[in-house]
Amino acid sequence: MKVLIVSLYHPELVRGGAQQVAYELFEGLQQRADVEPYLLASADHNSPALFKSGARITGFDGRPNEFLFLTQEYDYAWEKGANVLLVEAFKEFLELIRPDVVHFHHFLTFGIDLLTLTRRVLPEVKIVFTAHEFLAICPANGHMVRRTDASLCTRASAVRCHQCLPERLPEHYFMRDMWMRRHLEAVDVFTTPSRFMISHYTNWGLDESKFVHVTNGMRARGVTLPAASKTGARKRFGFFGQMVDAKGLHVLLEAVALLRAGGFTDFTVEINGDNIHFATPKRRAEIEAFLAAEAEFPLAERNVLFNGSYHPEQLRARMARVDWVVVPSVWWEIFCLVISEAWSFGRPVIASNAGGPAERVRDGVDGMLFELGDARALADAMYRACTEDGLWDSLAAGITPPARQEEMVEGFVGVYSARKAA
Amino acid sequence: MAPAAQQEDLANPVHAPEPPDFDEQIYLRLNPDVLLAVAAGKFGSGLEHYERFGRAEGRPITDLGTLPRGRVVPTAKSRDTAELAEAPVGVLDAIRISPAGGIYVVGWVNDSLDRLDSVDLHFQGWSVCLDAAAMARVRRPDAEPASGNGTPHAYGFWGFLYAAQRLTAGACNVVLRLKSGAELTLSPHAEMAEDQDLRNIALGQLAQAPYLGNAYFAAAAAVDGELGDQLLDFNRMLTRRAVNAPYVERFGPRRENYKASIIVCLYGKPEYLFLQQAMFSRHPAMRDYEFIYVSNSPEMAETLLREARRCALIYGLSVTLVLFSGNAGFGAANNVAAQYAASSRLIIMNPDVFPYDQDWAVKHEAVLEGMPEAQTRLFGVPLYYDDGSLMHAGMYFEADAMPSLTPGRRPETSILRVEHYGKGAPPETARFLRPRPVPAVTGAFISVARDWFEQLDGFTEDYIFGHYEDADLCLKSLEAGCAAWLHDVRLWHLEGKGSIRTPVHEGGSAVNRWLFTKTWGELVCAELLGPVPEHPALRAAAEEALA
Repeated sequence: MKVLIVSLYHPELVRGGAQQVAYELFEGLQQRADVEPYLLASADHNSPALFKSGARITGFDGRPNEFLFLTQEYDYAWEKGANVLLVEAFKEFLELIRPDVVHFHHFLTFGIDLLTLTRRVLPEVKIVFTAHEFLAICPANGHMVRRTDASLCTRASAVRCHQCLPERLPEHYFMRDMWMRRHLEAVDVFTTPSRFMISHYTNWGLDESKFVHVTNGMRARGVTLPAASKTGARKRFGFFGQMVDAKGLHVLLEAVALLRAGGFTDFTVEINGDNIHFATPKRRAEIEAFLAAEAEFPLAERNVLFNGSYHPEQLRARMARVDWVVVPSVWWEIFCLVISEAWSFGRPVIASNAGGPAERVRDGVDGMLFELGDARALADAMYRACTEDGLWDSLAAGITPPARQEEMVEGFVGVYSARKAA
Repeated sequence: MAPAAQQEDLANPVHAPEPPDFDEQIYLRLNPDVLLAVAAGKFGSGLEHYERFGRAEGRPITDLGTLPRGRVVPTAKSRDTAELAEAPVGVLDAIRISPAGGIYVVGWVNDSLDRLDSVDLHFQGWSVCLDAAAMARVRRPDAEPASGNGTPHAYGFWGFLYAAQRLTAGACNVVLRLKSGAELTLSPHAEMAEDQDLRNIALGQLAQAPYLGNAYFAAAAAVDGELGDQLLDFNRMLTRRAVNAPYVERFGPRRENYKASIIVCLYGKPEYLFLQQAMFSRHPAMRDYEFIYVSNSPEMAETLLREARRCALIYGLSVTLVLFSGNAGFGAANNVAAQYAASSRLIIMNPDVFPYDQDWAVKHEAVLEGMPEAQTRLFGVPLYYDDGSLMHAGMYFEADAMPSLTPGRRPETSILRVEHYGKGAPPETARFLRPRPVPAVTGAFISVARDWFEQLDGFTEDYIFGHYEDADLCLKSLEAGCAAWLHDVRLWHLEGKGSIRTPVHEGGSAVNRWLFTKTWGELVCAELLGPVPEHPALRAAAEEALA
């Protein structure tokens, strides 16, 4: 079975969750005798050195079956490319490879209309589409968070989308909705890494019977981390991930302020992440002001430490320094790889009660959930974590190891092999 | 003082003895303009003036004695006082000349007491006199504080003339002449403007100028007559030029003939090409249809060519692109596009129209096959807003009238207005969806037999840019014996979102309203007014629908 994986970016060129999952799937498929996998990963202005004159699709760094789709002129309003030559190149590539399955991870950078093209070029091919967020439904970065009041959105509509993004008229969003559905019609099977996503898409009107939940998997780790400090006190919290608004770092910092205001200072929070330049100016200013003020305190009085970004290889060391991992996301966090990472190191998670984290973290069993966006509720959970005897041990013992890469690959192979619905 | 009279008299001076009762002081008192002229050194004395001009002019020389209190005593005939009028106060803001012979002037003059009669332009090598009656009068808030005497008055004026010959701009002498003969001579510099720009300047002015009274009526009144005719003439020339030798390219599969040719006129928004292709290509029946996109926006040419190629690869429908060098307007663009059609059925469609039901083409064919020919020769369909409510289920006519209280203008301005049946109604309102003859249907979707379309000479091309050609076509059809019908083949219509619209287009619409009213006012007012028109072909159906 020939499987072509079409991915937004190559994770070694531009880091990100969707491309990481797509690549790990590709690697996993390479280990199987029954699958001949191909990877076509998009590249854009972020990787100018890899563009070759006159080329639209090229190989990648001498690796068999890995290709780069050299995209340009992307139209974000309609999530489509504008260049005819790229369409021709993609068509030729499909005709050359003639895959049995084309598995799209995202459509950003190459365009959602390539799904329709794929169906037209290969009428019998099985088209699988993995949704990594809700960009087809929500033009506001696919987050489904209302820009009017930061509440979670449960229903897109022409007027509601216009309220979030008033620079365009309601009719634009009406058309965008029709446009997205039109191209998703080409898809045989949708997969989502979390089950709650299925209800979002079916509420939007897609056919539930076309959806399959396939969890994201993790590469097996060679080392296990020793238990957190044996002093008994579990009072070290860690934040891992991008410092963008949706990840809710500001909620964590506000919780820190509330704890201090209540006279409780016997804890630490370590922040591991970067990309603060993608945060809104308001949040960025808030976070930077907090960290600057924190840096003014004598070392012993600091509650919050900023460690900066980390390479996957450094994750073990960073995890070793904390007892708890906090996931304060303020959007429909999709899967949350950080939860898998925390669990793989035996760290219980304190997470917002929405989306993937709410689906994965069992409150009181392997972690704690708090009301999304509520700094007071997070502060309460942190206080409890620091002060309640035996809580950490109980929750750590409740952790089930996260799904592994092989399970994910097996899940997708099952999708590829299932008979096409009539 | 009348210069012409002076000249004549200078050539043939009068030599007559001084009248015995001539009194220098009384003559100067009764003739203040002579007093000023003597003071300015133009005449040596009042007597000199009297001998050279005054006598022939019948100037008063006799002391009036003690004037009766509170009563005006005329000292000269009224036509004589007119000759004494002072030079008016006014400004010429701009004169623009276009290469093809468009002339545009704009300015203001204080003619609240003595009306503007004409504006003469004298250029190196050519002169022209613009009749004030053919000019638009508008308010000039900047001139009002200085010139205003408390009574509202439209001090502003602008005029347009299409001379249809190559003209040069440059230094210009302008004479603003009032009814009395009083004149103001100005020497502005006239600049050249491209022909299209000049049309846009004039239409923008028509739409945006502040009027004395309701702008909707005032703009129609402004173009009523010569000004409207001049703008139409000029626009016809631009239309002819725009459609001359279009660039035509075909994309996708090509057949000898199709079940229907969908003609879409694009303006300002190229994305509607790929949006329509994506939406219409969903049903296999669309392989029997061809699309002809005709563009009135030359600046979109590259994007359209690229998108048409992309669409052919992704959606595989037959697409023909017809690209003009300028904006030919809706009517001419569709007429030209129809010449490239390979079918006997034309569908005129707006770019922001999309299938409501995937199988709309099947439904469209069922109408053609199942209904009597007279009911399908020209028909429209129910159109829906994006919010789900009905947007259009046929059109009817209303007339708006406004009395004009301005002296010297026609007593009433009447404008025909087009209304849609069922606008905003719940989507399933049966009475609007029922197949029936209607006074007109919107140009957003018209399905018309090609031979009938050609017999009607297609769309009238006089309308500027767009608006009213659809109603005009339907009335031409009705007059030729075939009412437009409405059949239930539903489509979405994101009205007005598929093209750009600026004040210039509003100006075009104002001209079109006037033209449509001039063309059809009599027929409409006699038989087609209101949602239940008297016209025998329509009354019964309309009554039933609205019952």
